[in-house]
Amino acid sequence: MAKGYLALVLHAHLPFVRHPEHEHFLEERWLYEAITETYVPLLHVFERLVRDGIPFRLTISLSPTLVSMLTDPLLQERYSRHLGQLMELADKEVERTRNTPFHETALMYQKMFREIAHTYHHVYGRNLVQGFRRFQELGRLEVITCAATHGYLPLLMINPEAVRAQIAVAVDLHRRHFGAPPRGLWLPECAYGPGIDRFLKEFGIRYFFTDTHGVLFASHRPRYGVFAPIYCPSGIAAFGRDVESSKQVWSAQEGYPGDFDYREFYRDIGFDLDYDYIKPYIHPDGIRVHTGIKYYRITGRTNHKEPYVPDWAREKAAIHAGNFMFNRELQIKYLSQHMDRPPIIVAPYDAELFGHWWFEGPLWLEFLIRKIHFDQDMVELITPGDYLQRFPCNQVARPCPSSWGNKGYNEVWLCQANDWIYRHLHMAASRMVELANMYHNAQGVLRRALNQAARELLLAQGSDWAFIMSTGTMVDYAVRRTKTHLSNFLRLYEEIKGQRIDEGWLSWLEYANNIFPDIDYAWYRTRKEDMMVAG
Amino acid sequence: MSAVAPLFFGIALVVLLLVIFLWIPRRKAVQKAEPTEKFIPPLFTEEVAEELALPVPSAAEPSPPPVPELPARYGVDRLVLMVRDPYWLYAYWEITATRQEEFNATYGPRAWNITRPVLRVYDVTGVAFNGSNANSFVDINVPEEVDNWHIPVGQPNRSFCVDLGRMFPDGRFITLLRSNVVTTPRSTLSECLDEEWMWIEEVYRSYRFQFGVSSPMLIHEAAGRVAVVPLGISSPGFGPPVPESEAKIKV
Repeated sequence: MAKGYLALVLHAHLPFVRHPEHEHFLEERWLYEAITETYVPLLHVFERLVRDGIPFRLTISLSPTLVSMLTDPLLQERYSRHLGQLMELADKEVERTRNTPFHETALMYQKMFREIAHTYHHVYGRNLVQGFRRFQELGRLEVITCAATHGYLPLLMINPEAVRAQIAVAVDLHRRHFGAPPRGLWLPECAYGPGIDRFLKEFGIRYFFTDTHGVLFASHRPRYGVFAPIYCPSGIAAFGRDVESSKQVWSAQEGYPGDFDYREFYRDIGFDLDYDYIKPYIHPDGIRVHTGIKYYRITGRTNHKEPYVPDWAREKAAIHAGNFMFNRELQIKYLSQHMDRPPIIVAPYDAELFGHWWFEGPLWLEFLIRKIHFDQDMVELITPGDYLQRFPCNQVARPCPSSWGNKGYNEVWLCQANDWIYRHLHMAASRMVELANMYHNAQGVLRRALNQAARELLLAQGSDWAFIMSTGTMVDYAVRRTKTHLSNFLRLYEEIKGQRIDEGWLSWLEYANNIFPDIDYAWYRTRKEDMMVAG
Repeated sequence: MSAVAPLFFGIALVVLLLVIFLWIPRRKAVQKAEPTEKFIPPLFTEEVAEELALPVPSAAEPSPPPVPELPARYGVDRLVLMVRDPYWLYAYWEITATRQEEFNATYGPRAWNITRPVLRVYDVTGVAFNGSNANSFVDINVPEEVDNWHIPVGQPNRSFCVDLGRMFPDGRFITLLRSNVVTTPRSTLSECLDEEWMWIEEVYRSYRFQFGVSSPMLIHEAAGRVAVVPLGISSPGFGPPVPESEAKIKV
């Protein structure tokens, strides 16, 4: 019998980067890289574990924007071509590196890309969402959702209807792809604000996550710290993040990913190799980009880098998995002496950390799960949904408004670099609510225009744009996306109210920004209880 | 004539054959092309062009449409208050020309010009604010031309409301807009303890608590190296601890 639980949570999300207007769009590569380096490698891990009969429980949140992109035929087609190019490059690299210390790594990539292509095309018919669903049905994954476009909810609460719509659209999309409503919801950026849990309750969500201090600084001091969830007065559970386990994995300097034997992220042949050779595999404008083929290990703290040795990295991943497990055992051993119920350690990570940033991450995860199964009986993997079934009685307290962003609150998304967006986002949201309250059961072109207005608003609300603005890189793209969607919304609003909808333009928007085909603008309608929150 | 006729026929035959030879393959080619074209979705057209053309950097790429500008004003009087963290608020506002005219109509034609804009920040913790029952307030002078402000309040777990108004030289304050009420988050453990759920000190001892251990840390760490932020690590995380010493847990 285990003395405590470990809840590993992977949050998979990318903003909606789909640009049919342009064949080679730099930002679409975010998706391609994540599929190649993170999503398929994770599915491979799950496949191997299932094949070997190793039981495990993991929680994975798939954001609605990501689900929409993974199931979009245009992006599937483009990814398929991208992967084809990558395989061609890997083949060339095998030849080029013959008799060099890079050859073994080149062979590794060649094999890896071929396996990915097989999985992508033949196992899941290009629809990776089916993959995650499969492991949910096998009882291995608890797949949960996120807000529709990863809106930063506390800063959208000025218009409660806009927060409801972010959740309603997400839950609806999830149900369509996974056959059942989600039990939990990943609050974008772990950002919680007063009243948000009420909307979760409305859609049958049982739990969400906060950063450590979200639970620790709750209105009443939590008996078990973050080692048990608390219930909001609404009855929705909040699970707080454990710092120790998070940091071991997150930090590139103090954590595992910075180990000198692991692959160096920043040395990519897209930047390193001769222009004429690499030209066909980078952006056609000649912009150098990451190809995903990287031959060096981190080596040390200087710029001197030595060739990657796959076996060494594999060995380290195993050691680090053992270390992680050992630390959790210690933690649980200590906690269980003092607690009158088994502690739960909640360890959430961005999924893209695994594979994309920390190349060996998926391997580490696989080792960890195997070790937990074979080597000990102190720790048991669990999902928050399962935990709540076993321990339905929990302390009631209001979580502390917080996020997992820098400094722990809203500053990353509300600072001098991005504060200007909110006057527009809030105005657009209140106009969307106005439209929804004005038109009941709209039909035909009017309905299409109302639904598209909702899409444009949702796309403008993605937390990614504010985040990118605050980091200072790729700012132009984030500003463009914010302004474009807002301006599309404002024009639709004028056209709808002026009863002069430009159907040609509307059709173009529906084609270009085709997210959430089943959206219903009526989600924005004001309800009685919203009046109280708004004040 | 009779000698010309076979020649004519010969020429006619050659022409006919030529026509047949030249036309049939062309027709075939056309027939071949048709179904293929049908099956190529429009997204492929650019790839074909790219293969034929020399990859001259950017010449053929359409430049992106200009970024649309958003309205500077919406014609709606509003003052919106938002929480940044336990110590800071943010407010933005719009005052319409109508509102300004009303002000002058009430207080005299030069009223706007002889007054200055002031943000009055009320501490309304624990009260249902009606304009005159605040616990305390602080005035902040703001420049005439601004329409937003970052407000230092320095007090976690307190509720605030803000008025934007005009201050007369004699100190009279006239409210133009009133904000929503917000509450700053806590920055420490609560002092409220539940009898049934008494906290377990030993559990708290296991913390070496620190804020923001998540991906912002990566961003900070990455920033020192190359200007490429790894994708998808869009969420922030383990940043530096907040400067305020209250953030530390005292056991």
